[in-house]
Amino acid sequence: MKHLIASTLLCAMPVIADATAIEESPWAPRAAAYRLTLFMGNLTPVPWDEIERSWTLPAFGSDFQVAPLSRLTVNEAHAISQAMQAEDRQALFEASTIAIAEGILRHLDSAKIALGQPEAAREVAQAAALFRAFEDGIKAADAPAARDLGRAWLVLNSTLGNAGVLGNAEQDVDTDRFAEAQAIVVNYIAANYLPSSYAKRDRLTPVPETVVLTGADVALPSTLPPGSNIADQRELPRLVLQFEEAGEDEANLPLVAYGDMLFDSPEIFGGPARELGIACSTCHNRSDVNRDFFIPGLSSHPGGMDVDGSFFNPMFNDRTDDHLDTPSMRGIRFTAPYGRDGREPSLRRFIRNVIVTEFAGKEPTPFQLDALEAYVKQFDFLPNPKIDRAGKLTDLASDAAKRGEVLFNSKFAGLGDKSCASCHTPDRQFRDGLTYDIGSAEPPFPGGTATAFETPTLRNVNFTAPYMHDGSLPTLASVVDWFNDTKNLGLDEAQRADLTAYVEAVGDGEDPYQVFEGRNSVFRLSWEELTTFASTLDTLLPMQDAENIAVLIDTVAPDLAADASVMVNQNAKPEIYEFAAILLAVGDASAEGNWTEATRQWELFKAMQAEIDERMF
Amino acid sequence: MLSRRNFLVAAAASAALPVMAATDQGLKLAFIPQENPEKLLGDINVITSWLSEQMGVPVTGFVTFDHAAAVEALRNGDADISFMGALPFVLAEDQIGAVPLLSEVYRGQPSYSGRVFVRRDSGIETLADLRGRDIAFSDPVSESGYIYPLDLFVRAGLFSGTGDADSFFGQKFFAGGYQQAMQAMANGLVDAAGASQYADLYLTPDQQAEVKVLAESEQIPSHAIIARPDLDAGLQAKFIETMLRLNESENRHLLAYLYGPDGYLPADPSVYEGVRETARRYGFLK
Repeated sequence: MKHLIASTLLCAMPVIADATAIEESPWAPRAAAYRLTLFMGNLTPVPWDEIERSWTLPAFGSDFQVAPLSRLTVNEAHAISQAMQAEDRQALFEASTIAIAEGILRHLDSAKIALGQPEAAREVAQAAALFRAFEDGIKAADAPAARDLGRAWLVLNSTLGNAGVLGNAEQDVDTDRFAEAQAIVVNYIAANYLPSSYAKRDRLTPVPETVVLTGADVALPSTLPPGSNIADQRELPRLVLQFEEAGEDEANLPLVAYGDMLFDSPEIFGGPARELGIACSTCHNRSDVNRDFFIPGLSSHPGGMDVDGSFFNPMFNDRTDDHLDTPSMRGIRFTAPYGRDGREPSLRRFIRNVIVTEFAGKEPTPFQLDALEAYVKQFDFLPNPKIDRAGKLTDLASDAAKRGEVLFNSKFAGLGDKSCASCHTPDRQFRDGLTYDIGSAEPPFPGGTATAFETPTLRNVNFTAPYMHDGSLPTLASVVDWFNDTKNLGLDEAQRADLTAYVEAVGDGEDPYQVFEGRNSVFRLSWEELTTFASTLDTLLPMQDAENIAVLIDTVAPDLAADASVMVNQNAKPEIYEFAAILLAVGDASAEGNWTEATRQWELFKAMQAEIDERMF
Repeated sequence: MLSRRNFLVAAAASAALPVMAATDQGLKLAFIPQENPEKLLGDINVITSWLSEQMGVPVTGFVTFDHAAAVEALRNGDADISFMGALPFVLAEDQIGAVPLLSEVYRGQPSYSGRVFVRRDSGIETLADLRGRDIAFSDPVSESGYIYPLDLFVRAGLFSGTGDADSFFGQKFFAGGYQQAMQAMANGLVDAAGASQYADLYLTPDQQAEVKVLAESEQIPSHAIIARPDLDAGLQAKFIETMLRLNESENRHLLAYLYGPDGYLPADPSVYEGVRETARRYGFLK
């Protein structure tokens, strides 16, 4: 379940007690600003305002409420400011790299002076926190140096002395070993991050300068900048699948189960999305929206991003900063056309567009598209007893909502003598399948034609804030105000409150979030989903469909192992690793065309599933 | 001579005085950083504000460097109450008479263990296999991140104390925390890590699948909240009562601003007997 677990984090993380999510450790302010600078400096066009914000305000991904610039020397701050002002990527790379490198050296010098005192440990910790900004570059480009440096940090921490508690467990300072280890770090930093001149960098990375100069091709893993959140959603939306509510088991619907797996699979994407473990469900979590999704430089606010920027698929970069609010997919079969601009009448073609154009995946097979479409068409809205089948309010709605219903159905001159209900048609799931220019976007050039947007459904809209195609309005009340102001509806405060109450009644839904308690844990949900996905092997193995078996196993086996980290029952964790290994053995045998062995391993998997099921929470 | 009536008034006044005095000065809490001290400061404000409001006593908090500084603060009166690991607590109890007030509950238990972790592909199967190999511990004053994992080797007859450990292992490091020790092991910088039972959760999910537990210690009482011995008994009781309200559903969100426990239990001094005994064996207690 890629939406629950971040398997691609740079560094170790503290774990939330209830274990619903794993968070990245906070970054030191300068290190955070540096990593944001590298990430954004590689975007096209470069978001210079965002880079400046990273240095002048508390940086994303850092819990310290200080501006990183305030932690620089005057000269360092000046060089970075000059480079930002000149919008010079190379100069900014050099100035910010120097600032981090010099910061490391300063903290180590301070530690040396403070040896034997508690301050020494703090100074080493601060140096290490800055070193983190370079660490993945060194690891990818120069593994032997990464090891030597890692050992040097261990020596630094072990030799700085410790007074113990009340004279017990004290550790002596080892000045010589400290100095040796310091020299290892200092020499490497000086040679690689403080060179007399830097090679020109087409791509800004923390790869050491000496490696860059060799021209070696370094496979640097894709990373997201500090402050990114692609996996940590505090309240998990409740998923309503039509067949499931009607009492059917997904394991009996192999096409749907396979589509469910693909919806959770980064394997169908390409480029950084696949590498980072991003799947459909990362944003459209459990048919709804991951409202906490955020990537600095790509998202203007949580719950969406610019999907045609340069990061995920440079081929489809429109070079326009146009954040798009992620739409809910609840009731998707009833809400054509697709895309906020309604450019695509076919759900199947829109899914292909997401895979291939937005996230650089290979052309999906017809079977994969059939499966994904079969799955997402099962997404229903959350039931809402406040409206009937024709979309009219029931007796459960408040008086204010009922007054609002009258307003919603009233014609306004500012709406061209139409009503809100003309487009958000109650008996058509509160949408009409058409697109309109309502003035929510500017034309691309003076005299040009503004993008029209499709009428979004109001069903379950209470849970999808913010609103409008770009997520520019935070609440339903602010949407009502926006229409009142821009369309001169002339509604007074009470009427606006009534209209808001109506939209909130229509937009409501029963039990919007998944409830976890005791054995009914996040992992249990994941376990049930992943074993259901695996059940499609009952269909794929007899067909000897090696290609789809490979996609299935490359998705499910790593997820099973990764999800073990959020088990409540941590004692059972080793069993999950063994279980995932059996699934990998099915994949290996399938890839070799050894169907007897693949089937034997699959039977072992099912037997073990039955045996350990009780402990899986 | 005091009449009975006057005596009662005087007794009540003298009983009340320390509380009033303490109230005037407020209650001072020492926190020990597990992540970064500046983040902790923000968290402390949330907790101390809530405590002040609930107790009707000004409560302030400050971050100390480490356990040693927190114990010093309790001794010299700079702190009234401190968060504390079980080992430094028994040292503070022995030398300054510190008293335990509350115990953390983590993953449903008021105790945890220390473990020795290795990489699955290391070929290391027993503690004896670590002879001549490198190990990273967390911190020399850590029960689960040093003494208890180390004690596993002693109990296995591989060496007899902290001094001998240096000749048993190739190199013994103190990495500065659970996370650093575990990362050093997972990244292959050392062969093993001695850290808390749940320290593998500091690794990425992928790394977690690559490590295994080589040995596990007996249970250690979980981290405690302790007080200086002369802190007014009424104030101690009020603090305990208030902190226990964090277990109630409407207050549970505040636990995230502490060290992320599931909740707290009133401390039972007898549960530390095993820690006292271990500390004596390692010469920390006379």
